[in-house]
Amino acid sequence: MKQNDNRFLEQEEAFIDGIDVSGRWNRMLLDRVIKDFSIENKEKVTAVPGAESFGWCYQCAQCVTVCPVDHVGDYGPRKLVRWVETGMDLFNDPNLYLCTTCGNCYRVCPKAVDMMKIMPAVREEALLEGFVPEELEKALENSSRYGNPLGEPARKRVDWIKTLEEGVGVPIIKSVGREVDWMWFVGDYPAYHPRGQDAARAMARVFNKLGIDFAILGVEEQSDGDSQRLAGEKGLFEQLAEKNMAAFDKYEFKEIVVTGPHALNAIRNEYPKMEGGKEYPVRHYTQLLVDYIDKMEFTREIPIRVTFHDPCYLGRHNGEYEAPRKLLKAIPGIELVEMGRCKENGYCCGGGGGGMWTDSYSIDFMKERLSDRRVKEAVGTGSKILAVSCPYEVSRFEDGVKATNNEGMLIVRDIIELIDYAMGGDSPNPVF
Amino acid sequence: MTNTVLVIGGGPAGLEASRGVSDLGNPVILVEKNAFLGGNPIAERYAMLTGPVFRDAEEAMQDLIKPVTDDSNIKVHLSSTVTALDGELGNFTATITSESGTTESVTVGSVIIATGFKHFDPGYTSGAQQHWGYYEQPDVLTLTDLEKMLKDKNVVKPSNGKVPERVCFIQCVGSRDRQLGNQWCSKVCCGIACKQAIEIRELLPDTRVFIFYIDLRAYGFWEDELYWRAQEQHNVNFVKGVATEVIKRGDKLVVKGEDTTMSRPMEVEMDIVVLSVGMEPSQGTLDMANMLHLPLEDHGYIKTIGGPLNTTQTERPGVFAVGAAVGPADLEDSISSAGAAAMKAVSALRKLKLSAVAGD
Repeated sequence: MKQNDNRFLEQEEAFIDGIDVSGRWNRMLLDRVIKDFSIENKEKVTAVPGAESFGWCYQCAQCVTVCPVDHVGDYGPRKLVRWVETGMDLFNDPNLYLCTTCGNCYRVCPKAVDMMKIMPAVREEALLEGFVPEELEKALENSSRYGNPLGEPARKRVDWIKTLEEGVGVPIIKSVGREVDWMWFVGDYPAYHPRGQDAARAMARVFNKLGIDFAILGVEEQSDGDSQRLAGEKGLFEQLAEKNMAAFDKYEFKEIVVTGPHALNAIRNEYPKMEGGKEYPVRHYTQLLVDYIDKMEFTREIPIRVTFHDPCYLGRHNGEYEAPRKLLKAIPGIELVEMGRCKENGYCCGGGGGGMWTDSYSIDFMKERLSDRRVKEAVGTGSKILAVSCPYEVSRFEDGVKATNNEGMLIVRDIIELIDYAMGGDSPNPVF
Repeated sequence: MTNTVLVIGGGPAGLEASRGVSDLGNPVILVEKNAFLGGNPIAERYAMLTGPVFRDAEEAMQDLIKPVTDDSNIKVHLSSTVTALDGELGNFTATITSESGTTESVTVGSVIIATGFKHFDPGYTSGAQQHWGYYEQPDVLTLTDLEKMLKDKNVVKPSNGKVPERVCFIQCVGSRDRQLGNQWCSKVCCGIACKQAIEIRELLPDTRVFIFYIDLRAYGFWEDELYWRAQEQHNVNFVKGVATEVIKRGDKLVVKGEDTTMSRPMEVEMDIVVLSVGMEPSQGTLDMANMLHLPLEDHGYIKTIGGPLNTTQTERPGVFAVGAAVGPADLEDSISSAGAAAMKAVSALRKLKLSAVAGD
C-alpha cells in the first residue's frame, strides 16, 4: 500500500535483496514545486460543449465545504479545477468519476460552475477514449443490452408482481385497453432488486387500498437513463429515453408517477430537451400520495423516532422537500427528526451520477462511502429508522448500517414501506 | 472679494472641477505644470481606460479637455505652477510662475487642488521593493510601461524585441505595504491588470497571461466587466499568491512564489513580468500641501476634514482638494469629487457674498 500525500511516497512493505526497507526506510520526498501551469489541460476541458463553466472558478472554496466527497476524501470541485490548472489530465484521472452530481456545489457557487453539466460532458469524451471504471462500463453495457443496469432480462421486469398477495392488482397498461389516471413508471431497482421489490409491492398495496387508478408499462419499460447520462453515456440515455417515450405514446394516461427521483428528473427535465423529446406530466410517488393523506386508514402505529434522507434528485434538483415529510408526519406515532445536513443541504448517498456503479472503484479514493457516513449521521440523531424515498438508497444504506456496525441500531425503510405497514400491509420487513 | 476660482492641476479631476465651476457661472483660472492638459492619462500615454471600460484614453480625455479649452470663462496657464498663495476665503492672492520664470499675481476667491498621484517607482530606495529586479531586468516592466506598449500596439520583450509567449502580472507592488509606509490599496491596479491582460490576449492570441494576486480587488462593476471577462472570455489565468522572486534563466525570467490554493511552491518561466504598481501622492500634491500649510492625513495625502461625508474640504477655509490628491482614486472617484468640490468652492463664495450683503 503506498502512501502519497503529495509530499512523499512510501511503500508500507518493501524488501530489497531480502532486506526489509518497509515504511519510512523507503520514504522518498517528492518534488512539490509547480513548474508550470497546464493551461492546455484546462482549455481542453472548457472546450467541451457543456463544460465551459469549468474555467469560471475563482477559488472561493464554498463548494468544498458542501461537497459530500470532500468529507470522505481529497476531492472537491474547486480543488479539481486547480489540479487541472496545475497538471491533471481530467480525461484520464480517477477524480473524474468521484463526483455524484449531487448539485450541492452548484447551490452555493457564486460563479455558477455547473458540475452537473461538466461531469457528463467530460466523461463522455473520456468514455470515447476508453477511460471508464470497469464496473461502470458493465452497468452501461447492461443498460444497452438489457435496458437496465443490473443486467436482468427484460421479461423478468414484472416478476416482482408474482409474489403479491391475492387481491392486489398491478395492471399492465397494454392489457388495460383504456386511459388510466396514472402510468406508474416502476424503475429498475424496484423491479429487480430484492429490497426495491419490497417497496414496489408496498406501493402496489397502497395504490390498491387508496383506489388509485394506475397501470405499469411492464416489460416495455426501460431504464430512465438519467444516471447513465450523468455517467457520460449520452447516446445510451437517448436510446433508453426514446424507447420509453415510444412506449408512453402508445398508451393513454393522465399523468406519470415514478418510484425514483432519477426517473422524475429524466422525464421532467431531460426528455423534453432531447431532439424529438416531449413533455409528460410527471410526479414522484410522494407528491402523488401527499394528496391522499386524508384517505389513508392507518391500523398500526409506528411509535419510533425517524429521520429522513433527502434524495438529491428529489430535493435539490427538483425542489421537493415537503411531500416526504408530510407523509412521514401523517403516520401515527412517528417522531420525525432532522439530520444536520438536510433539505437544500442534504448529504448525498453516493449513488447519483453513476456513483451507483462505481462503489468499489471510488472507495480507493475515500476513507469511507458516502452512505456509511450518512448512516452515522442518522444514528447520531437517535433515530431507529432511516426513511428514504429513492430506490438507490435502501440497499446503499443497509450496506452502510452493516459497514458501520450499526446493525440493531438502525433500520432503513422506504417511506412507502412505512405507509404500507401503518395501513396494515403484509410487509416482509416489519419495523419492529 | 472675487468670484474667481483657482484650480491647480489639469488632470481629469482639475478639468472636471474647472468645467463645473464655470458651468455655475464663476470665472476659473486653471494652472497646469505640463505643457498640455489631461494629467497622467496623457502624460503617461495610457492606451485605454478601465472605466469607462475600454475607451481609448486620448479620445476619452478629449471629452474633458475640450469643454475647458473652448470655454472663454476658463483661463488656462500651461507649463506653470502656483508658487505662493496668501489671504483667505474670498480674497486669496496667488502667484503663478511659468516654466520660463515669469510670474503673475492673481486674486481668487477659493482654491481647488487637483494635483493627483504619481505611479509607484519599484526601484524605490528603501530596499523593500527591490526584489523584483525592475532596474536590473529589461523584461520586468510596470503597468505604465506596458500601457505605452499597448497604446503603440507593440508588445515585445524589451531584451530581444520578440513577441512574448508568456506574460505575468504581479499585483500590489508598492501598495498594502507596512514596511514601505504605503498602507493602502491603490484601488485601480487589479482592474488595470485585468484590462491589460485582455488587451494582450486580443493583440497576441498565442500569448499566455497570468495574474499573481493576494486578493483580487475588482470592486463594483469591474468584477464582471474586467475580472470575469478576463478569466472567462480571454482565458487569463489567475493565481492566488504573489510571486516574490524574479530570476533570470537564459532569456527567460523565472518567477518564484507560492500557489496558496495548492500550498505548493511554484517556479514558472515568463517572458515579461509586469509589476502592478500603485499610487503615491504626487510631488505636486506634496508641494501644494507644504505651500498652503495643509496637514496631510496618516497615509501622506492631503487631509480632508469631513471624512466620508465631506470628501473635499481641507482644514483651510476656501481650499478644497479632490481626486487622487486626497487618496487613491480611480477616474470615477476623481470626476465625482471634482464635481463636489466645484459646487462647494462656488457655494462658499456665494454664502460669503450673501453674509456681506446682510452686513454680518
